[in-house]
Amino acid sequence: MAEQLSDDDLSAALAGDPSGFSAVYVAISPAVLGYFRARGVDDAEALTQDVFVDVLPKLAGVTGGHAGLRTFIFSVAHARLVDYRRREERTPHLAEYDPLDDARYAASAEDEALGSLGGISHTLARLNEEQREVLVLRIVADLSIEQVAGIMDKTPGAIKQLQRRGLSALRELVTEKDHAAS
Amino acid sequence: MTGTRDPQQDGSIQAMLSDSGLESAAELRGALEQLRAVIPYEAPAPRADLAALLAAGAAGPVPAGRVPAGPVPATTTVLPMVASANDSADESLPAGVMSLAGRRGRKRRLAIVGGAVVGAMTLGAGAVAASSEDFRHSFSNTVGVIFRPAGHATPGPEHAEPSPASVPAIPAPATSPAGTSGAAPSSGSPSTGSAAGGAPGGAGQDGGKESDEQAGHRPPITPPAVGRDGILPVPGQRPETPGLPTAPGQHGGGDDGEDLPRVPGRIMPTLPGAVPTKAPDHS
Repeated sequence: MAEQLSDDDLSAALAGDPSGFSAVYVAISPAVLGYFRARGVDDAEALTQDVFVDVLPKLAGVTGGHAGLRTFIFSVAHARLVDYRRREERTPHLAEYDPLDDARYAASAEDEALGSLGGISHTLARLNEEQREVLVLRIVADLSIEQVAGIMDKTPGAIKQLQRRGLSALRELVTEKDHAAS
Repeated sequence: MTGTRDPQQDGSIQAMLSDSGLESAAELRGALEQLRAVIPYEAPAPRADLAALLAAGAAGPVPAGRVPAGPVPATTTVLPMVASANDSADESLPAGVMSLAGRRGRKRRLAIVGGAVVGAMTLGAGAVAASSEDFRHSFSNTVGVIFRPAGHATPGPEHAEPSPASVPAIPAPATSPAGTSGAAPSSGSPSTGSAAGGAPGGAGQDGGKESDEQAGHRPPITPPAVGRDGILPVPGQRPETPGLPTAPGQHGGGDDGEDLPRVPGRIMPTLPGAVPTKAPDHS
């Protein structure tokens, strides 16, 4: 895990002083990158850097300390993800030839074993869109229910409900996969 | 990898599980820890514009020549192109325009939906008004009531006010035909009306007496007058029926009054009223 953001850097960044930008970037960008990766974005690093290019000059108006900074950054990241999804719907999907994507390709035993071990993003992809967003924001972005509710523009009760249903669905998927693997 | 997580984050997962009542699900916990392992350990290498932003805070104003020289080899060739495109478009807000456009579109969509709803309701109300005649009638009445005080402010209340005020006067016009029919005898009756009070002997005096009684009973309360009229009209109407010959007498004016005995004399069974009217016409 990246190092924590010190209070001096935080206060400097929230005052709009560029000397705190680097510390903010080092502390929070891994979580943002993980957020985009968990959501299955192709170029997660570029999107992460877009977010920080957008966010860093605007830190002067942010209030609420550590939690407020995280909420602000992840709300921008959430909006960027929504923009990315819309753009992705409109543009044709261009892909180089990847032998692993070839449907005529048969998975090897090693790949199957590794896939059953990892592949949490594949499991997540089978969840509902909102449930997945709540789980990723709660776990990867490490936000509270109230923060997630503010980002997704819902009530905390709705977020709790989504989290409960998402966890139940994820549990079913995980146990199903365990049964299939064993 | 997951074993090196600090206990605070494991605590947050545990709290999240217990919050949803799933704290006993070990496999779910493992999946969530895998999800958390998606977070990389190090921050990604910043691309050119971001590096410039970060370096501006770290070492103050950076020489412009050094900024692209340092981070660009570290990043891919696509990213500087994206960055340069953003720089050419707008320096500080590369993609803020997109989010604003999205919000604007949402507002426009709300306005369109609202307009469509209002239009549909108008069409529906129009259809109801066109189909049911009662609705149209009542609606036109209400509209007339609303707009009448502005146009005809005075006649409306005047028509409304006399009707309650003339409630005692209503019996007067109801009985006034009797009074008007008996107007000719009443002209001579005031002297007899003053001395009246005896039994109704003469038929012609009854009519005059009735008109006097009504004139005398108007100032007092109407119900006793009605009570006496309830008795009196029966004899009161009888003088009118004999008065009917007087009506053709009035109709004849005065010169034709002599024709009346002639006409019944000529044609007794047939219509007495129809022939005399024709007879003066022929004559």
